[in-house]
Amino acid sequence: MDANTQRDPVLKQQGGLLGSLISMFRRLFFGNRPQLSALEEEAIMTPAKTVIRNFFRHKLGIIGLVGFICIMSFSFIGSYLMPINLSHTETTLRNLRPGNNYLKYPKALVKEGVKQISSGVSFSVALSNAGNVYVWGTQPVYLLKNFSTRIREIPAEVKQANTVQVVAGDRHILALDDRGQIYGWGLNNFQQAEVPTNLQTMLNSKQAKEIIASEVYSAVLFADGELYVWGSVMANRVDIVRPEHQGHIVKVAASSNNMALLLDDGTVVTTGIENAFRRVPEALQDGSVKVVDLISSYRAVLALDDQGELHVWGDPEYGLLQVPEKQGQVRAMQGGKNNMTLLFDNGSVAHWGADHYKQLKLPPSLGKKPVERIFCSMFQNYAVHEDGTISAWGNKGFPFGTDEQGRDLLTRIIHGGRISLTVGAIAVVIEVVIALFFGMTAGFFGGWIDNLLMRFTDVVIAVPFLPLAITLSAVVAGRVSEMHRIYMIMVIIGVLSWPGLARLVRAQILLEREKDFVLAARALGVKYNNIITRHILPNIFNLVIVSVTLGYAGSLLTEAGLSFLGFGVAPPTPSWGNILMNAQSSSVIEYYWWRWLIPGLFVVLAALSVNLVGDALREAMDPRANEK
Amino acid sequence: MLRYIIRRTLSLIPVLILITIMLFALLKVMPGDPVRMMLNPGLKAEHYKAAYEAMHTKLGLDKSYPQQYMRWIGNTLQGELGWSTLYNRPVKDAIKEPIKNTIILNIFVIILELAITLPVGIKMAVKRGKPYDNAWQVFSLITYSMPSFFVALSLIFTIAIKLKWLPPGGMPLTVHGKGVAYYLSWLRYMALPVLTLTIISLAGTIRYVRNAMIDALTQDYIRTARSKGLAEKVVIYSHAFRNALIPVSTIIIGTIFSLFSGAAITETVFAWNGIGHVLVKGLSNRDFMLVISMNLFFAILSIIANFVADITYGLVDPRIKLE
Repeated sequence: MDANTQRDPVLKQQGGLLGSLISMFRRLFFGNRPQLSALEEEAIMTPAKTVIRNFFRHKLGIIGLVGFICIMSFSFIGSYLMPINLSHTETTLRNLRPGNNYLKYPKALVKEGVKQISSGVSFSVALSNAGNVYVWGTQPVYLLKNFSTRIREIPAEVKQANTVQVVAGDRHILALDDRGQIYGWGLNNFQQAEVPTNLQTMLNSKQAKEIIASEVYSAVLFADGELYVWGSVMANRVDIVRPEHQGHIVKVAASSNNMALLLDDGTVVTTGIENAFRRVPEALQDGSVKVVDLISSYRAVLALDDQGELHVWGDPEYGLLQVPEKQGQVRAMQGGKNNMTLLFDNGSVAHWGADHYKQLKLPPSLGKKPVERIFCSMFQNYAVHEDGTISAWGNKGFPFGTDEQGRDLLTRIIHGGRISLTVGAIAVVIEVVIALFFGMTAGFFGGWIDNLLMRFTDVVIAVPFLPLAITLSAVVAGRVSEMHRIYMIMVIIGVLSWPGLARLVRAQILLEREKDFVLAARALGVKYNNIITRHILPNIFNLVIVSVTLGYAGSLLTEAGLSFLGFGVAPPTPSWGNILMNAQSSSVIEYYWWRWLIPGLFVVLAALSVNLVGDALREAMDPRANEK
Repeated sequence: MLRYIIRRTLSLIPVLILITIMLFALLKVMPGDPVRMMLNPGLKAEHYKAAYEAMHTKLGLDKSYPQQYMRWIGNTLQGELGWSTLYNRPVKDAIKEPIKNTIILNIFVIILELAITLPVGIKMAVKRGKPYDNAWQVFSLITYSMPSFFVALSLIFTIAIKLKWLPPGGMPLTVHGKGVAYYLSWLRYMALPVLTLTIISLAGTIRYVRNAMIDALTQDYIRTARSKGLAEKVVIYSHAFRNALIPVSTIIIGTIFSLFSGAAITETVFAWNGIGHVLVKGLSNRDFMLVISMNLFFAILSIIANFVADITYGLVDPRIKLE
């Protein structure tokens, strides 16, 4: 601490972090000048300086101010740094709990060497060269807990068995051991993580070659070319494979609603719902091109033929059909949910597609060392270098979780804060302007004007706030655009909340008008206008400041309440209130606690810090507080 | 006194007229066609036009706005509040049950709130600046900064879901008959909404009681009472508290009435079939007559509250000349 703070008796007792914060603010407002001793302090100070000095004596006020500045910079600087795409949703990632460890692979995996990595929505599973299975990431939420096991609880049979393959679906994991047995764990709401009885008999009689897991379904490809699908397939019927194709399948690329199957004659067939995924180019169907490998994203397929040429088809979204220039022979291909990655024989990587979760942002370590293998699925990507180290990129996780549409809550809370704080502030400005106009006009002119304005104030006070605010916003909601609706909310909150302040201003003016200093000013011949602006207004200014601060907290809460009921800021534009709009059902309250707790806490913290500041201001402006 | 009451009553009339005009204007700008909502959508095209015209005339929509306003006021004064398209029966029948439910809810809130705020507020004033006072100050500031839905959701999460002590929401079932079990189930379903409303309205009242008590305790007559050697209890309760009651009584009346309109969010979260919840449902379903009737109900309630508060102020404080 510097000499400046040590000489100040107030700061001495505060000490620590708070003390240094106070001294920081003090220097901010007063400049770095030496503090006066107790005797010198008796000199006359301007009211504003007295108020500021008194304010900084309040611990709680300082905490409130710091808290509010933090929340404001979080929202405003944050929304500048993290732009939001209002139209983006990703239902696969719905209702994920807070977690930031999706890419944090265990160190032991690097030591033992990677054999295979596969990723689900919020976790990844890996098989090391030593035969150990590792799972990292965040546990997805299961509503039917009784049927499912935790994703990181690797079953004892898997630990004991000699695992040769692992694969992750969206929320479950399958493992295949050297005796041809399949084990599953994780979400099991459609029995996708347990082996059906008839599959078990098949597994006992013939060799399984590859296991496949996707969104709520699983599949196994046998060495004899037969494919068996189980789990939930009623919505997409990916399991319907033509009898003449069974027994000839050599490779499977699965997405949520479709499967692309590579047959032993080099042609490609597809299953699942009818969409662009199923429009296989003619050349790949009639046998003129012999395909050797294929992968798929959510709605597009990439195939490699025996000449080293790439063929792509499917939905053109995210530019998935625009394959970048080849940098050599393709060594490996991988498909994520909305992007595709190629590894060339010179160890370089090419990737394209969507970039919502930084899937396209390659880590710098990737370019420095040649890549030996790549593992990309869902939104997580891993590259294994020739020296055995791993580079990971893509979806790191969601610090505040995701909502029912898979949107990142952190981004929505940041941008919602910007909206909520702005709406509240402008509403208060509107409130103060109207209140000052009414209160001052009534206070100064008196007589019938006063009477008329005060009767009108009575009417507005008599109208209950919340019901009318809801009604008004419901009435205007249908007629205006989303942006105009936000303006309307500001106006509604402002227009309905001014009467209290107007009465206060009027009463204060009437009070000040009768005081001796006004009489003295009049006796000195000061003009009436000057008496108002120079003598009376500064005295009601304090009152207005306190009311504005407390009113701001109030309008923050009002906006949150209106938006919570669905009569405020309309989605998809976020506000702290409307993030909670869909969090009213008891299943959300119970299982997806972060969806209501975190935005709710932000509202509480913002309102609390503003109230703390307002309270400290009120006490700082109380003349009785200056008595020694 | 009587003259003041009469004058005060008469001054309510222009306020009421202004409010009804405002609500009528609101009714007229509501989105949607009220005639269409009244008609049976299954009507055949050839009958539809005739039925539309008939309903249009029946609702009086062919008349001028002042005539429509007078008609609406006339009907309202006779207790005819219109037809609720949401409940498919007259508004006055549809809102009977919700009004009863809200009143029952609020009676418990008021009792609980007074039982907490009066003793705590007094003790805070007596122990001004001590840890007891500071702790309650911080607590009241925190609850004052909480939106009601956040309190409601937190209570549902902890008490109803994690501890499973109380139901998370809804209305008590009538299958229990009218015995003790029925009333107990009322209490169980009411507990969480009552707690929520109490918590959010606690802060304002508690601080008000405290400040009124502090004002009373710094008066000269308290010093006199103490110097006479009266017991501290007598000084606090019989001298200070009785005088602090004057401002407190008015704010309590204000709180009682404001609870009714502030319960919309709480009732919606707990699916409590009260008027606030009905208002929200009515708005979502574009039930105009229901919405306007609810607003009128709230407005009249709040006018009565202001009126009663003014009168009580005059009654409890003989120093105030009501002229």
